[in-house]
Amino acid sequence: MTRQGRASRVGAWTVICFLLLPITVVLPISLTDQDFLSLPVDHLSLQYYRKLFASAEWLSSIWQSLVIALGAAIIAVVAGALCAIGCWRRGSRASEAIRLLMLVPLIVPTIVYVLGLYRLWVRLDLLDTYTGIIIAHAVTAIPYVVIIVSTSLAGFDARLEQAARNLGASLRQTLWMVLLPNMMPALVSSAIFAFIHSWDETVIVLFIGGRAIFTLPRRMWQGINDNLDPTMAAVASVLIGVTIVLLAADLVLQRRRGR
Amino acid sequence: MGGGGRASFLLLVAPALLLTLAFYFVPLAQVLWISVTEPNPGLENYALLATSASIGRMLLTTARICVATTMVTLLLGYCVAFALTRATPSLRRVMMIGVLLPLWVSVLVRSFAWMTLLRREGLINDALLASGLIQQPLALIWNELGVVIGMVHIMLPYAILPMAVQMRQIDPALTAAARGMGASGFGAFYRVFLPLSLPGLLGAGVLVFIFSLGFYVTPVLLGGGRTLMIAEYISIQIVEVLRWGTGTMLATTLILAIFALLAMLSRAIDLRGLFGAK
Amino acid sequence: MTRTALTRRHLLGAAAATGLAGALPRSPRAAVPDVVLCNWGGDAVPAFTQAFVGPYEKATGGKLIIDPSGPSNGKVRAMVEAHHVTWDLCDSGVSGIGELGPRGLLEPIDYSIVDKSKILPAFGYEFGVVNYMFSSVLAWDTKVVTTRPSPADFFDLKKFPGKRMIRKDSQAMLELALIADGVPMDKLYPLDVDRALRKIGAIKSEILFWDTGAQSQTLLRSGEVSMGWLWNTRANLLKRDTKGRIDWSFAGGLLQPGLWTVPKGNPAGKQAMVAIAAMQAPAGQIDLLRAMGNGPANPAAAPPGDLTDIDPGSPANLAVQAKIDAAWYQAHGSEALKAFLDVISS
Repeated sequence: MTRQGRASRVGAWTVICFLLLPITVVLPISLTDQDFLSLPVDHLSLQYYRKLFASAEWLSSIWQSLVIALGAAIIAVVAGALCAIGCWRRGSRASEAIRLLMLVPLIVPTIVYVLGLYRLWVRLDLLDTYTGIIIAHAVTAIPYVVIIVSTSLAGFDARLEQAARNLGASLRQTLWMVLLPNMMPALVSSAIFAFIHSWDETVIVLFIGGRAIFTLPRRMWQGINDNLDPTMAAVASVLIGVTIVLLAADLVLQRRRGR
Repeated sequence: MGGGGRASFLLLVAPALLLTLAFYFVPLAQVLWISVTEPNPGLENYALLATSASIGRMLLTTARICVATTMVTLLLGYCVAFALTRATPSLRRVMMIGVLLPLWVSVLVRSFAWMTLLRREGLINDALLASGLIQQPLALIWNELGVVIGMVHIMLPYAILPMAVQMRQIDPALTAAARGMGASGFGAFYRVFLPLSLPGLLGAGVLVFIFSLGFYVTPVLLGGGRTLMIAEYISIQIVEVLRWGTGTMLATTLILAIFALLAMLSRAIDLRGLFGAK
Repeated sequence: MTRTALTRRHLLGAAAATGLAGALPRSPRAAVPDVVLCNWGGDAVPAFTQAFVGPYEKATGGKLIIDPSGPSNGKVRAMVEAHHVTWDLCDSGVSGIGELGPRGLLEPIDYSIVDKSKILPAFGYEFGVVNYMFSSVLAWDTKVVTTRPSPADFFDLKKFPGKRMIRKDSQAMLELALIADGVPMDKLYPLDVDRALRKIGAIKSEILFWDTGAQSQTLLRSGEVSMGWLWNTRANLLKRDTKGRIDWSFAGGLLQPGLWTVPKGNPAGKQAMVAIAAMQAPAGQIDLLRAMGNGPANPAAAPPGDLTDIDPGSPANLAVQAKIDAAWYQAHGSEALKAFLDVISS
């Protein structure tokens, strides 16, 4: 291991500790005995976990967020990845323009877009519907996918694809058997970001949502003029806990498979 | 590369293009049109860019914080991405947990966690005071420093992942060859690896910078109210004071400014080559 | 309204007896349209439900539905302009009628249905009528501020060191600054915005600005600030939660009305006015005072002894506060906000 190797390792772990620092505080906050977001004062309390699992509203919000985020992520990744691949293969002025255009949903503040979205959704009767929110989230998540997949394709050896084509592969076969397997890390990363984008998205659901759509961010933000409900810290802790358990299980499985 | 006929190109970009045209650009165009129709037809809203001192100041604050955030994020993120590519698969998984876990925590909870950590009587200041490293509590929050800390924390995964994904494709044999030919460890890195990792760095930089421009929640919650950035400013125009002309004008300006920035960047670096069209 | 319902019940009863109930057409006039009330969610939902929903349904037979979406000006404008209004009543305020009224986005209040005698005359406007009262008041941390501060002490950083806290909005903050600077409470308007901003700007580096009610509580409770201007409802809760460590006072505060507004083209039409009239009853307003600390709008509502202290509209508290002038805000509100944000962000 070279000197930079070691230095970069130390640096990397420091940054990772920085990343995990606020998370370590979230767990105690979720165990607060107070009515408001705070560290526990007198004793630890499971009240907000109990509230979370007993509350039909919080559970339904989690479910709605999950469904919407999955739908939006799938659409965004498929559309975005295909677009990035197409632009990469073509390499013309037009493809550059299209890739630039795909960045716009990331640039424009959502509150501005949502004014126009509202009007369109009224006409299409998509206000306060799953479809309406999923489409809006998908369309605003496409930039993440395009950027990450394009970045990944930048280092991709184009000759592999050319070889496949020379051997007679159709577009679909080239995509499926050559490009996609090599792009897996990029696809997974962009799927994660598209998912989180929808999972955390607040402005669109606050404007387009009505009484039917009440995703998790909406539930966390409503009532913010009164109080921040510590249940949101319990939600975060549960999600983190589940992820750690899943990843630990994955690690154990990998090790057992002898990698 | 010039590969792929027109037909296959159109087929590939069609889903994204049609979706965004129909459900994003058409409604957006209608909104942005307001910038030249309200309160009066014409370009008077755009004139504010030159005449309004408060808008100018707000733009400067935004640029300052976003550039700072991007630089710090790229620097720290590069370290992690670099280590990720060199790590063994199981170690890489563990590191990934550390990188991805924060994404589960909503901005509200994160901001409150930072408050708990950074405030005058918070955990960090308590620890530093107790260890005798400082005499007075540090002002780590309710200022631009707090905002940058909060924003870097949110942006890091968005920088690390694209960079790591791209770095993985760099053939390790290349740096090994450089070492073999007598380059020092740092020399091999600087001359071989770093240039090869530039696409990832730039892709991440573009993503983080643009993303941070739209940031609203973190500056509001961690800035103590004094860091007024463009996203919040636009929101106030649209939601509170109904100055939709000003708000949409600023949004349009943002788009044009970013395009201009990317155009300048592409002149300095061959962006097309960067993103693969050789 | 009640007569029609009885008549319909009569008819249906008779029809049922003859087995013709299904054949009778439902008279559309007899069905009371649902009224959707949009407020800001959180504790306000159970509080409003308990205070208003039951009594309204008993009085009119119609349903009152609470929508916690938060009636921001931007959303109301978008709704009205798209001809897709889903709210009948909005829990709005002075800035709401100031921005939406002149743009023709609100229905004028029908004072032939809403009773003007059941409100303080100053708070019945063309496009909004008072639903409850609240105040912006001074609160302090008794651990640091050991003697009771006067309004002027807010700006005295030597006498009471520590950071200050105000809302990130010019409304009420300008008035409180002027009162602290010695302007008599009945001579506040037209506001000397420059004077107020100079006062605030002088200690700007020591001020933290809160955006949401929750934030205002957190800053004081956690000791980040030693004195602050916030809503009486939040101050009241803080005092109770901290067992008196945070104390507050109406003195030198600003009385502000919450206002019912009706977006133009609202689905339930005139029924919204009927709902407003129904919510003018004292009993529900006192329930709201007990639940949330919002003062009754009806001067005839007499809160029980234990609640008069925290009622912003009680005679004792009225005497030490200024009243907001909505007309000034309609003319100058957004300019003042712009100047305010400018000062605090530079």
